[in-house]
Amino acid sequence: MEVKIQKQENGVIAELIGRLDTPASQEVAPAFDSLKEDAAGTIILDCTQLSYISSSGLRLFLSTRKAAGEKGGKVIVKGISNDIRTVFMMTGFLNLFEIQ
Amino acid sequence: MNKKGSLKALLLVIIAAATLEVTGLVQFYFSQKGIREEAGMRAESQLDATRNRIMDVVNQAEAAVRNSVWIAQWCMNYPDSLQRVCWRLVEDNPVVVGSTVALVPGYNARRPLLAPYVFRNPEGELQALSLATESYDYPSQEWFVKPLETGGGYWSEPYVDTGGGEMLMTTYSMPIRDYNGKLAAVLTADISLDWLTELVGNVKVYPQAFSIMLSRSGRLMVSPAESLVMKKTVGEYVSEMDDTTGLTGLTDALMSGRSGNMAVNYKGATSYVYFSPVERTGWSMSIVIPESDIYANLRSIGTIVMLLQVLGLLLIIFMLRSFFKGEARYKALDQKRQRIEGELHIATGIQMSMVPKSFPAFPERHDLDMAATIVPAKEVGGDLYDFFIRDEKLFFCVGDVSGKGIPAALVMAVTRTSFRNLSSSTCSPGRIVTAMNDSLSAMNESSMFVTLFCGVLNLVDGNLLYCNAGHNPPRILTDAIRTLPVEPNLPLGIMPGFEYKEQETVLKYDDAIFLYTDGLTEAENINHEQFGEERTDAVLRQRRSAQGHLEAVKKAVAGFVGEAEQSDDLTMLFVHYLNQTHSEMKERSIELLNDVRQIPRMAEFVEAVVAEKKIDNDVAMGIHLAIEEAVTNVMMYAYPEGTEGSVELKAVMTSDRLSFILSDSGKPFDPTAAPDPDVTASAEDRPIGGLGIHLVRRIMDSVQYERKDGKNYLTMTKNI
Repeated sequence: MEVKIQKQENGVIAELIGRLDTPASQEVAPAFDSLKEDAAGTIILDCTQLSYISSSGLRLFLSTRKAAGEKGGKVIVKGISNDIRTVFMMTGFLNLFEIQ
Repeated sequence: MNKKGSLKALLLVIIAAATLEVTGLVQFYFSQKGIREEAGMRAESQLDATRNRIMDVVNQAEAAVRNSVWIAQWCMNYPDSLQRVCWRLVEDNPVVVGSTVALVPGYNARRPLLAPYVFRNPEGELQALSLATESYDYPSQEWFVKPLETGGGYWSEPYVDTGGGEMLMTTYSMPIRDYNGKLAAVLTADISLDWLTELVGNVKVYPQAFSIMLSRSGRLMVSPAESLVMKKTVGEYVSEMDDTTGLTGLTDALMSGRSGNMAVNYKGATSYVYFSPVERTGWSMSIVIPESDIYANLRSIGTIVMLLQVLGLLLIIFMLRSFFKGEARYKALDQKRQRIEGELHIATGIQMSMVPKSFPAFPERHDLDMAATIVPAKEVGGDLYDFFIRDEKLFFCVGDVSGKGIPAALVMAVTRTSFRNLSSSTCSPGRIVTAMNDSLSAMNESSMFVTLFCGVLNLVDGNLLYCNAGHNPPRILTDAIRTLPVEPNLPLGIMPGFEYKEQETVLKYDDAIFLYTDGLTEAENINHEQFGEERTDAVLRQRRSAQGHLEAVKKAVAGFVGEAEQSDDLTMLFVHYLNQTHSEMKERSIELLNDVRQIPRMAEFVEAVVAEKKIDNDVAMGIHLAIEEAVTNVMMYAYPEGTEGSVELKAVMTSDRLSFILSDSGKPFDPTAAPDPDVTASAEDRPIGGLGIHLVRRIMDSVQYERKDGKNYLTMTKNI
């Protein structure tokens, strides 16, 4: 699992590559924490190359969303596969994020 | 024979007559009660299931609105973007067919009335229009007024939408306040209720039963009388019926907002109405079951019981007449007794003619070979057997009534009928036997008792539930022949209220079970040696058909007893289980430590299993996720932090399902008892955890928890 972070004008884009299962989520938790520095701007989570996500991964998404909510920023989730869209639907996450 | 003897005989006859009557009544009472309770349970579980399906849609619609409130609020300063909000709401939520944000008149000075509406047209495309027209006058509509009055979410009365075809719809609306807390607008989501008619209309617990759904004001939303839907309220409907005398209180009960049931009478026929409210929407759902439907099965059995009773009474009258004939009374008594026994043999014959006697019993089935037989002794005895298949389950029993003669034969007849009656409403042998005991004990003044073995074999998976009431344990034929371990419990008819313990085992492919009465093992030869179990096993060891086995045992017994007279009935029942699914069953397992770094190993294991089962990719992803969630949960919480523990994951594959059994020896924890998280809450209100188990439940078709021998077992099954 790899997270490629790139600062942008008014925010940050994080490219998620691989499987975000429980151990991977623990591994990349610090990377997600660092995204919160930009919580006042726009955080883009690019999931084009994300093949799998478990609830530990969903937690990282949610805590990022909460941080953005507090600081008045927003989180955009980009390029999710149909499988992951199903997981988002089952957990109500579709309504929490701006999906692109 | 003397006078005393004849009096004794007369007394016996009277006791027999009384027994016959009382058993009939008692047993009827118990069967009726059981069947009625069963009907109530079926109706209530249907109500529950249907209500959950409805709540699922209701929740989705409410969530759709709630999750758009913040953006609508934000848009209050940009009224031109409100249409975009509605568009997103309809686009992202398949259950929603239309949505509007309608401004409170005068809120925006430049736009006194504004209500952009977006809806899905019959082709499934989104279309927009404005509701702010003079003819519609949205500020006076219910969906607009009510939420502003109450300050919270509101479900409108269902209505027929004439705009896009005749569609039954309802609207959820919520008031929007601007950042200053001022009521600014109302946000709505319309859902179509066409699915409701189908969902509720298809609830059929009994052939003549039907369902009704009422709106908050009592309007018929779903009803068998389709022409009245949305046209009449239930109050109007009831008061216009031909005969309303038996329907008093029905309308009030249905509109009370509570769950319950009541009996109603219409034109002399009784029906039971089970009702339950659907939360938040104000709807009320009810199931109506005619009494005749509930007792349809009992009635046919009742006729048989009546016929038997008439037959018994005729016999008794016949006997009484012979007693009072006067001359040759004493001399002829013995002869009469013989004749009565002869007639009783006929009565027994009639009784036994109702049990299956031609074998193979189920020629169309390839998963089962079974046979049964009774070899009657000269004196009338009280052995019985019976079996039948219902819902892919084989119900069977073998029993032996204590004593011989008329009373034994009568109790036998009653016992058999009561087995048929009681097993029509439950699949639990423990419950069947407990109820049979209550029914037999209640009338048992003559201290007769019955030993009985009752089994219910699930023909799908070979699971055998059984209950033994003081009967000799059956033989189980697997790789070797052994005795099936049984709780002795008590024979039937001794102690009313006794709770019979039910047991369980599993028959594998090619296993068999052999039931018999002590007439077999206690058959004696002239030297008073008994046939015994060893000789029985010697016969069973050969490979034969079920019928072949019984013939061979009979032959062996006949050869053994020789000239000696058969003193007791000999009854045998043989079930050979031949379901192939077990030969197709495969098991794989993996042992893991309570360390999440082992998750990739687990993933490889699951990958191998789904590949072996050739499961589609989209389903496989769900299975991966569900199993990871369950396993992670155990790894993190089953054992105290810092201690090492093991987690076993076993996959069981059959032709039509895939089960994962997860076990650990950690502290008792039932994840299925955890409440579902509110997946509709906003990001701010959502707790970080609790999603894992929710996902397991959503993805798998069944999730069951069991604590056994100090271990937790979680069985998750996906039908394929």
